[in-house]
Amino acid sequence: MSNATLERTSDLSTRRLAGIAALVAAAVFVLWGLVAPASTPGRILRVMFTKSALSATLRLSVPIAFAALGGIFAEKSGVINIGLEGLLIISAFTGVYATDVTGDIWLGLLIGVVSSVLLAALFAVVCIEFRADQIIAGLAVWLIALGLAPFASQVIYGGPNTASVETFNTITIPGLAGIPFFGALFDASPMVYLMFVATVASWYTLNRTSFGRWVIASGENPKALDTAGVDVTRVRYAAVLISGLLAGIGGAALSLSLGQFVGNGQTMVNGKGFIAIVAYLFGNYNPVGALLSTFLFAGLDALQLRLQAAAIIAVPQSLVRTIPYVAVIVVLALFGKTRLPEAAGEHYESGEDR
Amino acid sequence: MNVDRRTLIKATGAAGIAGLAGCTGGPTEGGDSGSNDSGGSGGNDSSGSGNESTDGGSESGGSSDINVGMIYATGGLGDGSFNDQAQTGVQQASEEFGVSSNDVQPSEVTEFQTFQQQFAQGGEYDLICCIGFLQAEALAETSQDYPEQNFMIVDSVVEQSNVASYTFGENEGSFLVGQMAGLLTQQEFSAGAGQTSPDQTTVGFVGGVEGDLIGKFEAGYRAGVAEASEDIEVQVSYVGNFNDVQAGNEAATAMYNDGADIVYHAAGNAGTGVFQAAQEAGKFAIGVDQDQSLTKSGYADVILASMVKRVDTAVYTSIENVVNDSFNGGSVTTLGLEQEGVAAVYGDQIGSEIPEDVTSAVSESRQAIIDGNIEVPADPSNL
Repeated sequence: MSNATLERTSDLSTRRLAGIAALVAAAVFVLWGLVAPASTPGRILRVMFTKSALSATLRLSVPIAFAALGGIFAEKSGVINIGLEGLLIISAFTGVYATDVTGDIWLGLLIGVVSSVLLAALFAVVCIEFRADQIIAGLAVWLIALGLAPFASQVIYGGPNTASVETFNTITIPGLAGIPFFGALFDASPMVYLMFVATVASWYTLNRTSFGRWVIASGENPKALDTAGVDVTRVRYAAVLISGLLAGIGGAALSLSLGQFVGNGQTMVNGKGFIAIVAYLFGNYNPVGALLSTFLFAGLDALQLRLQAAAIIAVPQSLVRTIPYVAVIVVLALFGKTRLPEAAGEHYESGEDR
Repeated sequence: MNVDRRTLIKATGAAGIAGLAGCTGGPTEGGDSGSNDSGGSGGNDSSGSGNESTDGGSESGGSSDINVGMIYATGGLGDGSFNDQAQTGVQQASEEFGVSSNDVQPSEVTEFQTFQQQFAQGGEYDLICCIGFLQAEALAETSQDYPEQNFMIVDSVVEQSNVASYTFGENEGSFLVGQMAGLLTQQEFSAGAGQTSPDQTTVGFVGGVEGDLIGKFEAGYRAGVAEASEDIEVQVSYVGNFNDVQAGNEAATAMYNDGADIVYHAAGNAGTGVFQAAQEAGKFAIGVDQDQSLTKSGYADVILASMVKRVDTAVYTSIENVVNDSFNGGSVTTLGLEQEGVAAVYGDQIGSEIPEDVTSAVSESRQAIIDGNIEVPADPSNL
């Protein structure tokens, strides 16, 4: 065995050891909680596995999961879309505004999505047609939305916050909604159901359709795709527009679930688009993986709020609030395995004369 | 192709900066400040650079040539509480004294100093109102750099001879709503869209960001609840900012699901999420800063009361002082229950249904606090 391989194995096994240690710690924690329900772990488990915690997780997941799905499409095709946050912001505002004007929440959702697709289209043109740096253009998308949405609100509503509009009604499936804990899955906003549908549809599209294979090829080996006679540019355009579509649903769902757009500071989106990037990287570009890692983050966020309220662990509340972020970093370091698409971030120029 | 690309990147950059500028916002003409004849100045506001010339405002028909610069807190106008309340004060002053005003709505804490200096530089303002405690640090510097400029700050104290500081007895007002919540959660009570479950005596508090200011709300509230009964559990969560409505909603939902009947918020915009959670859970909420059953009338059926903080009084009084040429720079004015700077105001829609024994207990406590018979803590760690 050469030196290099030896180091590699030992490096891997350190990480594996740390991973196993973390898993054992988690198992001990759960066991302790089960054996002694009055102890701190027992109380944490009790607030964790409630129907209300699960519904909170699902609601908190919606914007993150949609943005993550959108990010997967764009990045799989070779265009790193770091502007997901901006797409969420613009659709969150437009969704509320359109609902306010038309009086129809579904039309509002649609128009919100359209605005996000348009911004994504601008991003696509800049990156694909004019070969701009994808990271810089992505940041521009974010900054444009961060400036534009509160500004539009200022013009229309006289302040960075919009008026209140109606919200989505909860869809309750009788009977199933009564199940403890899992009942939350059958007693949720239509956007939650749509999140599951979109995840499955994204997975199917990427893995079972020829368009999905084109997207993957366009990100891994665009030359091969070009040689096979598929227009790489068109595939990338389509993928970025899909990312705009999905992120748009997420953003509009966020603001329309709450009935108002708040445009101060980081706006009500408050970094969810960036969390989404972490979620899909952590899920290794698999839509289902991205959804699960979103659940991890959102679940910890929901838990964090409950730990604060019930004052279960005796640490300052500002530290309790960091639990989701710390946990995601730890899990990412120990179990994360992300392989970027080969050609992600690179511009592809077909050899053809046009 | 290469040139194209460069041009486009430049264009994108320019668009981005324009976007940022829109976000920063420039001074805008106060809409209600008498009749401003300098048309067109409003159009340039978004460029974010300008010291707007206000020549039009001062010579307009008003009876006073006082000019006021308003720098709002990061919550922005339309928050239905803190900033809107401050705006009410300046509107009242412009109606009564004909003062004209300009305002800015910074969206980041880092922008405060820029706007303060911008307003102070031109020297055309007789008073610059800095709304919110987050401006204190910046104002401590700015007020030194412009010793001739009159400033006032709300919610914090800046010890400079050209700054009039106004603080509030938030803990006193919060005590009253806390006592009300504590008394109601022990009873069977239903009104509007909410009802209590008397078998579980839990109430909640959702704060924005931990600190001295929001701590006063929390401390007073918890002391008030304890006044009603020592056995009531008070759940406390902080959202971590004043904008994340979803987080505010989830924080309150967690409390309601855990048996809380009434949740009081001091979380700015995020508090809208608390009201929404109350409606969904069929429980009650308590508003803050303004009578939120009026400003957030969509939630009037769950808002039992609001801890009103008369930011407008502070703004109005400071302007009045300037108009009367008696600016009280260097002084600290504390507006507590006695000065009617804070008050517990019952909800417009369901407040009248609160039982007599509760309201009379609350008004007794109010008198006791004014008389000094009840000492309300201002720091939650002292409870």
